[in-house]
Amino acid sequence: MEETIKSIVLGLCSGGIYALLAVSYVVIYKSTRVFPFSQAAVLIIGAYIMWYCLIAWHLPIWLGFIITCAGGAILGMFIERAFMRPLVGQPILAPIVVTLCLMLFLRGIGILMGKGDIQGFGESFLPVGAWKVGFLHLPKIQVYGFILCAVLIAALMLFYEKTRTGLGMRVVHEDHVVAQNLGINVKRIFQYSWIISCIIAVVAGMLLGNIQGVGLALDANGLITIAAVLFGGLESFAGAIIAGLAIGILQMLTITYIAPLLPGETTMMIPFVFLLLILFIKPYGLFGLVRIERL
Amino acid sequence: MSININRPCGTFDRNYFQAKEIYRTPLRKILLALLIIGMYLLPFLAGDYGISILTLICAFIIGMLGLQIITGYCGQISIGHAAFMGVGMYTVGILQRHFGLNFWICLPLAGLVPMFIGMMFGVPALRMKGLYLAFATLAAHFVIVYVISNWRSVTNGTDGMWMKRPDAFFGIDFKSDRNYYLLVLTITIIMTYLATNLARSKLGRSFVAVRDNDIAAEVMGINIAYTKIMAFGIGCFFAGISGALGGAYYEYVNIEWFGLDDSIWYLGFLVVGGFGSIFGAIAGATVWKIMDEFSTLVTPLAEIFLGGAAFYASAAFSLVIYSLIIIVFLVLEPRGIAHRWEMVKRSYRLHPFPY
Repeated sequence: MEETIKSIVLGLCSGGIYALLAVSYVVIYKSTRVFPFSQAAVLIIGAYIMWYCLIAWHLPIWLGFIITCAGGAILGMFIERAFMRPLVGQPILAPIVVTLCLMLFLRGIGILMGKGDIQGFGESFLPVGAWKVGFLHLPKIQVYGFILCAVLIAALMLFYEKTRTGLGMRVVHEDHVVAQNLGINVKRIFQYSWIISCIIAVVAGMLLGNIQGVGLALDANGLITIAAVLFGGLESFAGAIIAGLAIGILQMLTITYIAPLLPGETTMMIPFVFLLLILFIKPYGLFGLVRIERL
Repeated sequence: MSININRPCGTFDRNYFQAKEIYRTPLRKILLALLIIGMYLLPFLAGDYGISILTLICAFIIGMLGLQIITGYCGQISIGHAAFMGVGMYTVGILQRHFGLNFWICLPLAGLVPMFIGMMFGVPALRMKGLYLAFATLAAHFVIVYVISNWRSVTNGTDGMWMKRPDAFFGIDFKSDRNYYLLVLTITIIMTYLATNLARSKLGRSFVAVRDNDIAAEVMGINIAYTKIMAFGIGCFFAGISGALGGAYYEYVNIEWFGLDDSIWYLGFLVVGGFGSIFGAIAGATVWKIMDEFSTLVTPLAEIFLGGAAFYASAAFSLVIYSLIIIVFLVLEPRGIAHRWEMVKRSYRLHPFPY
């Protein structure tokens, strides 16, 4: 019992990052109807930029954070303008292949940036140590990371609710043609979506890099998050957050209960088995829209 | 859209006999015969290096034809094709290692085992399409790779295992690379013939109908469930044969030969070759393997520019260059080399006039 509670609490903490990442997928999917597989590799880029800022250039943490976010924004803008905009209106296969290839492209850039090695942040840029609450050990890195993720998601939701651009983005989520008729620049909204999503992804990347070490293996987290996005439903922010936390808990429970029984990287495999189960049972996820098609 | 989406504009079939023909003109028949004879004579001119490239190209053409059937003809996106190729490879490896079976018995099994696994993972296709199916095949990729790399008692884990080439057959010894190439070429020609005929058959035409609009196809009386699962089954059969032939060429199988990136290259180079045509699959596989050799050749250059540590540079080179090629192709020529080739032929045919 104690073990179970421990893994659930730890899973919630690490699930914050998955929730953040899942939101970054949903932001793009909702407005452009393109599933951005490439975000898995944007993590690597974000982690490496932060590593360069802190370790190679010895900048203060706040400056590194700002530079990394700016880098993510430029990356998102570039991807949208150069690769995604020519594909608007193409059949569904074209954007899927392009985002998958972008994933490998960014992975290649990541190899060049990191010279193929796994780098560490030396000492973590978030406080280390742990709080002791009853029988629970809460690592401070995870808790601060969770708080940062929650703040970012809250800020994004506020942006959607309160600002004029956010309102325009919500219209685009509903229907591209209607939005165009209302005088909203849909292409610009696509660009904003990519920028927001890439900023979120690089922040998640630096948090994950802080925990797991900066390396190419980070994109595994991005791929696992795909299972979370699907569980929550591709079109739902609430679903993405809940499912992100759920995947975090699932992963911790896997480490506690399933990993001793099975060999190898069970944390990588179990989320995908989970994904297959969702696809068999409830393909549109918890809060996803069930599309009814007609001729 | 018809079966032959790459046919030049203004060329129609006016009766059933024309629609059933493989060769529209006698010249095509002659050229194809010359090509096949040329392919058989090529190993006697090329060196060992040339033969190794040709063998790999032929093996990958079979796999690419399988993906063409799943994605190009039936429109079901598969991001796990390399894993099914791996299943075929490991089927031969396991049967030879644990049961000592002959390669000739293993080869059909290397097609059938991935076929059944592919049909199993194709079942989600009954309830969804497009992106959701891409997720299912992505999950299939990870589950298959996990099972192969961790079921150590059977697959020998990540260490890989040895494979044997086929035994001598009517006095032809396949230990020599040249004879093995001739075998692979023969099987490739047979499989290409099968794929061409499949595209013209009832099943192939229902694949195309499902691709273009599955609801309309269902209204017309096509059993969608059967069609989609058959597409997955047949495509994975081709992938398995391709894997078995490729693995037997190296006489060794390893899990590292079919990562997620290989599955993505499969899909990407299918786009480069061209969707929905046999020629597109052949062109895609050829371009892919030639690029592979090119990137091996360029590695020493990377060493000069980036200092001693070029092992990472060559990996990065292939990732960056391949993905850029595929993306540029999708942006500029979404219908691939096959379409461009038809354009060239058309401008030749209509020479003095632009159209």
